[in-house]
Amino acid sequence: MEAWFMHALGGQNPFNATLVYRDQLRQRVAFALSQIFVVSDENSALSGQPDALASYYDVLVRNAFGNYRQLLEQVALHPAMGVYLSMQGNRKPHPELNIRPDENFAREVMQLFSVGLVMLDPDGTPKLDAQGRKIPTYDQFTVRGFAHVYTGWNMAGCEDTRFDWCWYYEHEAPAWRMPMSPYDDEHDSLNSKQLLRYPGVKLANGVLPAGGKARSDMKAALDNIFGHPNVGPFIGRQLIQRLVTSNPSPGYVRRVAAVFDNNGAGVRGDLKAVVRAILLDNEARHPGAQPPGFGKVREPLLRLTHGWRALDARTGTGRMSERNPAAYLAQAPLQAPSVFNFYQPDYMPTGELAMLGLATPELQLATDNMIPATQNAFGEEIFIYYLGNPDVGPDDISVNLARDAPLAATPAALVDRYDLLFMSGQMSSGMRQRLLARLNDIPNANDGRDRVQEALYFIINSPEYIVQK
Amino acid sequence: MNRRDFLRRSICGALGGVGLYGAMGNLKLLEAAIGSYGANAFSDYKALVCVFMFGGNDALNMVIPRSATHYAQYAAARATLAVPQSDLLPLVPVSGGGASDGASYGLQSATGGGGDVGMAGLQGLFNSGRAAVLGNVGTLVVPVTKAQYQSGTATLPPQLFSHNDQQTYWQTSRSDDPRNLGWAGRIADLLQDANPGADIPMAMSLNFESGLARAAFSNQYVIGSGGPRTIGELQWNADRRAAFMPLMAGGAQAHPLERGFATAFTRYMENAGAVTDALDGAPQLATAFPDSSLGQQLAMVARLVSVRAALGLRRQIFFVSMGGFDHHDRLLENQPGLLAELSQALAAFDAATVELGVDGSVTTFTASDFGRTLSSNGDGSDHGWGAHHFITGGAVRGGRFYGKMPTLANDGPDDAGWGQIIPTTSVDQYSATLARWFGVGESEIDLIFPNLGNFAARDLGFFSPAGGGSGAVRAAAGQSRRRR
Repeated sequence: MEAWFMHALGGQNPFNATLVYRDQLRQRVAFALSQIFVVSDENSALSGQPDALASYYDVLVRNAFGNYRQLLEQVALHPAMGVYLSMQGNRKPHPELNIRPDENFAREVMQLFSVGLVMLDPDGTPKLDAQGRKIPTYDQFTVRGFAHVYTGWNMAGCEDTRFDWCWYYEHEAPAWRMPMSPYDDEHDSLNSKQLLRYPGVKLANGVLPAGGKARSDMKAALDNIFGHPNVGPFIGRQLIQRLVTSNPSPGYVRRVAAVFDNNGAGVRGDLKAVVRAILLDNEARHPGAQPPGFGKVREPLLRLTHGWRALDARTGTGRMSERNPAAYLAQAPLQAPSVFNFYQPDYMPTGELAMLGLATPELQLATDNMIPATQNAFGEEIFIYYLGNPDVGPDDISVNLARDAPLAATPAALVDRYDLLFMSGQMSSGMRQRLLARLNDIPNANDGRDRVQEALYFIINSPEYIVQK
Repeated sequence: MNRRDFLRRSICGALGGVGLYGAMGNLKLLEAAIGSYGANAFSDYKALVCVFMFGGNDALNMVIPRSATHYAQYAAARATLAVPQSDLLPLVPVSGGGASDGASYGLQSATGGGGDVGMAGLQGLFNSGRAAVLGNVGTLVVPVTKAQYQSGTATLPPQLFSHNDQQTYWQTSRSDDPRNLGWAGRIADLLQDANPGADIPMAMSLNFESGLARAAFSNQYVIGSGGPRTIGELQWNADRRAAFMPLMAGGAQAHPLERGFATAFTRYMENAGAVTDALDGAPQLATAFPDSSLGQQLAMVARLVSVRAALGLRRQIFFVSMGGFDHHDRLLENQPGLLAELSQALAAFDAATVELGVDGSVTTFTASDFGRTLSSNGDGSDHGWGAHHFITGGAVRGGRFYGKMPTLANDGPDDAGWGQIIPTTSVDQYSATLARWFGVGESEIDLIFPNLGNFAARDLGFFSPAGGGSGAVRAAAGQSRRRR
C-alpha cells in the first residue's frame, strides 16, 4: 500500500533519492487496469503475500503503455493471478481420480478480461439475433476447452516437488515475483480444445488441435482471445469509464475500439494509442461534443490522491504510514471485494438516473454506510493531517495548507485557486456565491489556515466537485 | 391523468414489468389489490432475512448423506472432495419429514483448526424443529430434464454458471426486466403504504446495497454492522453544516450525476437520524453473537428488529451476506470455517428472536449464486447449479426435508454433463413461498414471479400452518389470519 501511494503522489523515493516518480498518467492507467484485471488481497491465500501483489501491480504499470497481448500473457502467468483464479496447480483430467480441470480462470479471463458475455458491435452495443436477443460470446464447451488449455502451470522451481504440493509460504520467495512455469506432465495434450469462434478466427472452427504443450497451447489460446472482435469495444469502453465518462456515446467507443484494432501503423492492441485516443477524443475535451449526462463520479480513492497531489502532500520522512482506505473510502488498490471489482459497470441507482439510462458505477459506493465515512475521512485529511500540525506523526501523509494561506485574505482569490486546482474552473456561480459568503463569515484566523480548510472541506465534499466533467 | 392514476400505473409497471398494465392485465383488479396493502393491511409483524453466500456454496458438502449406500455413492462421486463419514453430525427429521431419497443426512462437525466448531448450531435448530432443508433448489425458467439440457432444447435462465448473473437471478427471479429489480424490492414497492409512519425504508441491506432489495420507487437502507454511521460532529459543526447543506438541496444541481449524489446524501442524513434515534432506545440483548462478520451483521439485524415499533415498521426485509464460497481450490481446507460461521451466526440469531419474542415472526433463509459441481477438479469444485439451502425460524415447519434430493453419481440422471446438478425446485417456488408467508397475495405473487406458473407446486409447504400467513386481501375483508 505504501508503494502504491508513493507512486501515486510522485516525488522522491525515500530509499533512493535519485529515483523520482513522475509517471502520473502511467500510474493512473495501471490503476484503471487493476480494476479490469482484478486480483485482490481479500483472497485468503493472497492476503499474506504482499510481494506477489506488488509484483503483479508492477506488471500492470510496465504494460500500461505497452501491448494488450503482452499484458494479457503476463497477467495470466503471474502467480498472484494464478492463485486468485486458481490456474496455479491446475491439473489435466484424471478420470481414475474423478477430477477434471478447474474452470475458474478460463471463464473469468473471457468474461472480465477480454471479450465479455455477449457479442458486441464495434461501438460497444450488444449484437442482437433475429429474435432480438443478445448473443453469448461463448458456451460451456468453450469454457471447458480453455480450462484444459490452462493445465500444467505452477509456481517456478517445483521441478522436484509433487505438483499438488508446490507452494511457497515465505512471502519473499522469488517465485512470487516470477512468471509461473509449465509442467508438461500435468498438461492436457490428449484432447483437442474448443476455443472462441468468431469471423476471421485463425484456428479452424476455433478448435485447438490436440498434441500441444503447456506453453504452446497457452500462446495459441491467448492469440485466439486477442483476435476476437469484442476486445476493442469491451476493453475500450471500460477504460473510457475509468478515465473519462461513465456513459460514452457509441461513436466514442467505436473510435477508441478502432484504434485498438489498428493504431495507425498496423498494430493491434497498442494500449498507449488507445489511452491517447480516449483522452484526446473530441467527446472527452469539448463540451459541445458531449452527450447529456457526460462525466463520471470520482472514485473515492482518486479524490484522496487528487487532494494530496493538489496540496503538495508529503510526509516528514518520505515513508508513508500504514493506511487502510478500504474502511472509509470503500476502495483500496488490489482490494476489491471480488473479481467483479468495486462496482458494476452498468450500475444505475433507482430514480432519475435509472429513468435516463445513465450508468454511474462509482455511485454504488455512495451508500448510507460509506457517505459519512468518506466525508469524515476527508474532514480528517483537511483538519488534522496538515504539515505543521504537531499532533501528526512523521510518516503521516500531510497536506500543505500554508502554501495558499496568503490568499485567504482575499477569499475570491482563494476560491479561484481551488476552482482551478480541483474543478478545472467549472464551479457554478451559485456554488461560488455560497462559498464566498461562508468564507467571509469566518474570521481569517490561524494565518489563513482556517479559511483554506473551510474552502477545501466545502469543495471536496460538494456534488459539483464529486462529478468529474 | 391525475397523480393517483399515475402512481398506480407506475406501480403496475414496477410489479409486472415495463408494460402499462403489467404482465397480467386488468388494471381494476390490480388497483384493488394495491389498495388492500394500505395502512391497515397488516396488524402483525413479519420479517424476512436473506443470508446470501457469495461465490456459490458447495452445498453437497454442507448437507451430506451418512447412511451406508448413499454415503458410498457420495464418496465415490466426490473423490478427493469427500468429507469423512465419521465427521458428520446427524440430522434427525421428524416422522414423515425425511429426505426424498430415504437417506439420512448430516452436517460437518468440528474440524481440527482452532475456532471451528462445525455446524452443531444448525444441527440443533433442525433437530428441534426450527430449521428445514430445501434440497436441490436453483435457477430455472421451466423444469429441465437432463435430456433436454444436453440436446440444447431446454429454456434456461441466461448465463448459467456466471457468478454475477446467477446472483442477480437468485435475487430477481426473472430476466425480462433490464432494471433487475429484486423480488424483495418489488414487494417493498407494493407495500409502500403498509408501514404508515415509517421513518426508514422497509428493505435493509448490511454493509452494501443488494440486488434483492433493489426497487423501482422504494429505496433500500444500507447500514453497517456497527450501526448507522454519522458525519462526526468535530468537523460537522452547525455553522459549517448550514453553509454546506444548500449544495445538497433538491433542485440545486444542474447535472444529473450531481443530483444522483445529492439524493444519496440527503437520504443518508434522513435515514441516519431516524435509525440513531430508534437504536438509542433499543433493549440490551442477553444473547451473545459471534464476533464473525455474519454474526455481527445478524446482531445488527436483531437490534433493528427490536426497535421496529419505533421505526414504524410492520414488515421488514433484511439482506446479510458472507463471501468466499467460490471454492475452485482447497474446498476441504476452507469451506468448513465458513460453514461454522454460518451455523453459529444463525443459531445466535434464532436465540435472539426468541429472546425478543418474535421468533414466530422472523424467517431466515439462505441463498447463493449456485451449488457446485459434484465432481472434483483436484482440490475443489467448479460452478454448479442446484444446491441445498436452509430456512429457519419459529414459523417454519422444521425438522424436515423439502424438495427432491439428487442422485449423487457423475454422469447420473441429475448431472447436466460436467457435474452441475440440475435443480428440481426453482428459486421462484422458494421465493414465492417466502413472499406468501410475508403477506403478498396470489395475484401479486404471479406478477412478481412471472415464471411461477411453470412449476407444479406454487408453495413448497415449509411454513405452518401449511399454506401461508395473513393474505392482505383477507385483511382488507376483515378476516385477519393471524398465526396461532
